[in-house]
Amino acid sequence: MSGPALGLSGLAVYLAALALLTAAARRRRRDDSPADHFLAGRDLGVPVLFLTLYATAFSGNSLIGYPGAAYRHGFAWIMATGFMLAITVVTHALAPRLRPLAAAHGFVSPGDWVRHRFGAEPAGPAVVRAVAAVMTLALANFLLAQLVAMGHVAAQVTAGAVPYWGGVVGLALVVLAYETLGGMRAVAWTDALQGVLMLVGLAALLAWLAGEAGGLGGMTARVAAVRPAAVAVPDGWTCLEWASTITLVGVGAAIYPQAIQRIYAARSGRTLRRALALLAVMPLATIVVVTLAGVAAIPRHPDLGAIEADGVMPLLLGEWAATGPAGAALATAVFVGALAAIMSTADSVLLALGAVIAVDLLGGDRTDPATTRRGKRAAAALLVVAVAAALEPRLTLWRLTELKMELLVQCAPAFLLALHWPRLRAAPVLAGLAVGVAIAAAPVLLGIDRLAGVHVGLLGLAANTAVAVAGSRARPAPGRGDVGNLSHGPRRAHARHG
Amino acid sequence: MTLRGWALAAIPLLYVVSLPWYRAAGAAPAVLFGLPDWVVVALACYAGIAVLNAAAWLATEVRDPGEDP
Repeated sequence: MSGPALGLSGLAVYLAALALLTAAARRRRRDDSPADHFLAGRDLGVPVLFLTLYATAFSGNSLIGYPGAAYRHGFAWIMATGFMLAITVVTHALAPRLRPLAAAHGFVSPGDWVRHRFGAEPAGPAVVRAVAAVMTLALANFLLAQLVAMGHVAAQVTAGAVPYWGGVVGLALVVLAYETLGGMRAVAWTDALQGVLMLVGLAALLAWLAGEAGGLGGMTARVAAVRPAAVAVPDGWTCLEWASTITLVGVGAAIYPQAIQRIYAARSGRTLRRALALLAVMPLATIVVVTLAGVAAIPRHPDLGAIEADGVMPLLLGEWAATGPAGAALATAVFVGALAAIMSTADSVLLALGAVIAVDLLGGDRTDPATTRRGKRAAAALLVVAVAAALEPRLTLWRLTELKMELLVQCAPAFLLALHWPRLRAAPVLAGLAVGVAIAAAPVLLGIDRLAGVHVGLLGLAANTAVAVAGSRARPAPGRGDVGNLSHGPRRAHARHG
Repeated sequence: MTLRGWALAAIPLLYVVSLPWYRAAGAAPAVLFGLPDWVVVALACYAGIAVLNAAAWLATEVRDPGEDP
């Protein structure tokens, strides 16, 4: 079977499996409520919850963007393992407190927590909408990155039989179809399939890379001969940038709206902590492999440009496929695994966008089926805009990720600080968010991404937090009854807030 | 301090060691297990972080209202 035919066959089998899972998920649907559509009826067990968390966290950025970044940065990119590990570390500050509240009060969207915490204060509704707006912008950026990665992989897996634009448009429609028809249940089940494919694909890729390069030592020697800086000890400036990146991604990804939805969707608190314990070790099995893939490409293709480097993983797999039938079959399996990883993130982002827009931005009732329909339409509309932007990619996948994180971290005080500090008030949180977003937006407007090695978004978060804390401390300390929204009990009135 | 507390306290220290700020910048590194030695140190730290974090999660109480301990 020829390369394109094999790729098309692999793609067809994978899409057929997705269709079957979507049909099964649709049959299991209990009703049209937002809780059933967006959270799978709050009934995800450990295996599916773990795999959906895994497939959602490790995305097109991980499998396509990170090898490209490793190609550009050399072995220093191994530190990406550190920032992916940081996500479940920072989640310790979120899930143990948020989950019991979500279960007690029936949260559906990320903004339900913000509404619960600040909703009775005069500035509360504005905080809910501001947080939702920032999350929507960040998620739209994330969706764009997935669509770009989808286009690259689809073109490569079919050896150009499906062009880049065809991959972007066609696969976006597939994701939209199963997200709309099956909701979170279809997303989680397809994520489970996609997570398994990703793990199998990465194991095969690692074996091929090690064999091809004559072992890790041979690969390192070849990289050092072509580009010594890719192997040398990084300088202090690079270390500072990495410390900044670990903090940025740890905080930003811990409050991903799609991750928060999975905290709500777990069958129980015990289920959630077991799934997170499994997820905690997965960066070792994933990021190390994709980093080595990117580094291994340096001596093979020494002259790729920054944007071209995002295509380095497909390039390597194309070479593997050309070695013979076994290589072609395995490379196709890895391609499909990569595509699965990208689609699983895109579907989760799309589902989260629907909930954030319908419930938090538009104020829909979280028990009303009309809210579900509104969420589906909103997600579809945003997908159309993102597809249009993906047809002409202008930034690297990694830069898209950084921009998303720099916006998203500005929401951290409304979650991480608000869960732990009862004195935090809505108006200072809103002011802090405005200051943080203004600072984070500066790099886009002025072409600056870091100051003294630190991401501008993190500087924005520092200013954001300072404003929120100082503003809250300047207000009278709350009475005993005013901190009730951090408890699991029935919701109380907060007439004295603000 | 609890097991969870010790594990979470050790993680930042491992992050500090994982970044090679204490090494001479630009130096050609020794190769260990086929990789530059500073990469091996970073990977060892990440393995420690992963194990400690997983242990911390297993020791974390996340209990829904009405859920048995």
